[in-house]
Amino acid sequence: MKKIIALLLAVLLVASLMVACSGSGSGSSGSGDSGSGDSGSGGAKTDAITVNIWDANQQKGIQEIADAWTETSGIKVNVEVVDWDNYWTLLEAGASGGTMPDVFWMHSNTVQMYMENDILLDLTDYISKENVDMSVYYEGVKDLYTRSDGKIYALPKDHDTIALLYNKAIFDQYGVEYPTDKWTWDDMYEAAKKITEGSNGDVYGMAMNTSNNQDGWYNLVYCYGGQVITDDHKGTTIGSDEAKAGMEMMRKLLTVGAPQSVVAETGTDSLFMSGKVGMITQGSWMINSFYTAENHADYAWELLPYADLNGNGTCEKEERWSAYNGLGWAASAAVSDPDSCFSLIKYFCSEEGQTKQSELGVTMGGMKGVSEAFTSAFEGMDVAPFLEAEDYSLYFRPYTRNTTVWEDALQQAGAFLDPWQNPEDAALMATACDNAQKIIEDAIAAE
Amino acid sequence: MKEKALKKKRTQAQKREMIWAYCFIAPTMIGLIVLNFYPAIDTLWQSFCKTGDFGKGNIFIGFANYATVLSNSETWHSLWNTIKYALIEVPFGVVIALVLAVFLNKKLKGTSLFRTIFFLPMVCAPAAVAMVWKWLYNQQFGLINNTFGTNVAWISDPNIAWISIGIIGVWSIIGYNMVLFISGLQEIPGDYYEAAEIDGATGIRQFFHITVPLLSPTTFFIVQTRIIGALTIFDLMFMVMDKTNLALQNTQSIVYLFYTYAFTNGNKGYGATIVVVLVIFIMLVTFILQRAEKKLVYHP
Repeated sequence: MKKIIALLLAVLLVASLMVACSGSGSGSSGSGDSGSGDSGSGGAKTDAITVNIWDANQQKGIQEIADAWTETSGIKVNVEVVDWDNYWTLLEAGASGGTMPDVFWMHSNTVQMYMENDILLDLTDYISKENVDMSVYYEGVKDLYTRSDGKIYALPKDHDTIALLYNKAIFDQYGVEYPTDKWTWDDMYEAAKKITEGSNGDVYGMAMNTSNNQDGWYNLVYCYGGQVITDDHKGTTIGSDEAKAGMEMMRKLLTVGAPQSVVAETGTDSLFMSGKVGMITQGSWMINSFYTAENHADYAWELLPYADLNGNGTCEKEERWSAYNGLGWAASAAVSDPDSCFSLIKYFCSEEGQTKQSELGVTMGGMKGVSEAFTSAFEGMDVAPFLEAEDYSLYFRPYTRNTTVWEDALQQAGAFLDPWQNPEDAALMATACDNAQKIIEDAIAAE
Repeated sequence: MKEKALKKKRTQAQKREMIWAYCFIAPTMIGLIVLNFYPAIDTLWQSFCKTGDFGKGNIFIGFANYATVLSNSETWHSLWNTIKYALIEVPFGVVIALVLAVFLNKKLKGTSLFRTIFFLPMVCAPAAVAMVWKWLYNQQFGLINNTFGTNVAWISDPNIAWISIGIIGVWSIIGYNMVLFISGLQEIPGDYYEAAEIDGATGIRQFFHITVPLLSPTTFFIVQTRIIGALTIFDLMFMVMDKTNLALQNTQSIVYLFYTYAFTNGNKGYGATIVVVLVIFIMLVTFILQRAEKKLVYHP
């Protein structure tokens, strides 16, 4: 009797272990019973597609667009959010031998690596077969997801630009005039100085951390004629005199901004939202956070300041620069039903899907000319500057094959953290630019 | 001779018992092999490789990773940071826990309440603990600076950040150490204290001449496991220190460095090498401690 019980227990134990294993396996793929397509040759039709994204702000809108696709296709779409850091860890683990989500976002930081290793579904044939017009998308975003041999691995989902965000209440309190589209970076300095000095350091005129690169100091480098990564993605001019002039302007701004020790602990967004900072620069992907914030009525957006390099007092096209970047919709190469996945991607990136995306205020489009609706998606908040930025110069967010290596190094001691820590010392910033030049060159050489 | 021969010949019943034994340890063994042994060996192998993306295309490069890791001052700086952390966490964590355990071992009102309170940090998720402390320490809005009217950059001043991190470590581990100490204390026979009292020994004398020596096996066990625990610390630094924090270089532990290389920069081979170096270091420390055990631990 005892033996039988023991046997039963052992069987139960092993069985539960196996169930737990397989359970967690399919859980991480989350694709329901798409596993049944394993034996099939890829033609099997799935009845659910798992979509992974990292931005919780966009989940509702993306799900709504996906539901519209479900109405015609009959295939259910589950949009799951995994936060930025875990997103890449999970995706890499999935790509290295686990199960990946079916459809997901790609980003300029990592896409090169994924394309080179054939992790992503090759969309080239689908695009030519279904006559998808690639010329309607933003150049930089389209190029990003095209491999050097011309194969396309993702369709442009959106694009984003950078603008200046300011708190009207703080400007009123210290009697400083609101930013305008005529502002140079020096005007921003003067305004920030008035606020910081007027409040005796209780409120800071502006705040920027070394980690605010795409949405921060990169834009100054380009404004003054430098390039963080050159157009061929094989070099940098961050140590050049032009870039140094941009970073010198940055240094000046830092002398009247929040000190590094403050922004490292609290973060510029939190400082701004708690009324400690008058101005920050931010990307269009962050609008919703500020739109839904407690004091959103006080917040307003303006074009990034420009650098009056020729001294004629007006802003030429090449004197105002904003970074732009775009995500891509990609699918895993190992999906059981690639046709349906492409169909979903195509819908996301079609005129209908893209227009919906901007109407819902999710993001601006990856397709040109569909983003007008985006500006009216936020009632009571004028986000037009993000679109107006496109009348001036845009540069694509600097990337190389392994962007994070140098991007992280630039934020830390040995690079820009040193001058950020001590902005009074002009020589430190110039040295940091030289160091940055070397860091980027070494990182590219090691790729 | 006879005995050996007997041992070799197993009866039917013994054989069946053996099979059962294997059945019962199989789940654990399979778990260990799949989740611990295989990854450990694979890590060792990767440390000799220039690893490719997604675990594909590893190229054997011999000791090149080791040469870079060992010649990089960053490695030694991080190792030193880790040791500094251990120097705070282990002694303070042990001493404070011991004192608390002695008090809470007495039959007083509310001991179980206090035991629960002190053990509570162990129940919390380490990441949550770190987040709460991060806000307590915050220079602008932190409770500590606001309560005491100070303006100290607890976690971004390179000179004190390592102490601040150490304090979180001590706070988190006291409860665990304390429970172990209490169980150790309960094994000390009451006769010793009775005898000492009759001889007129004060409480403090009793503590140093009875409790401390008789508790030394427990103390040694705690010290040894905590040293290993402290040398592999990661979550505190990761959660509390922002990447752009100036003090990061003076606080990042060696496991943090491993994380940066292996997962942020995607250089698995280099990361694996850092971990292997750490394992060797921990083995050395453990070896020395084991040698010292006979001298440090009181065996009545």
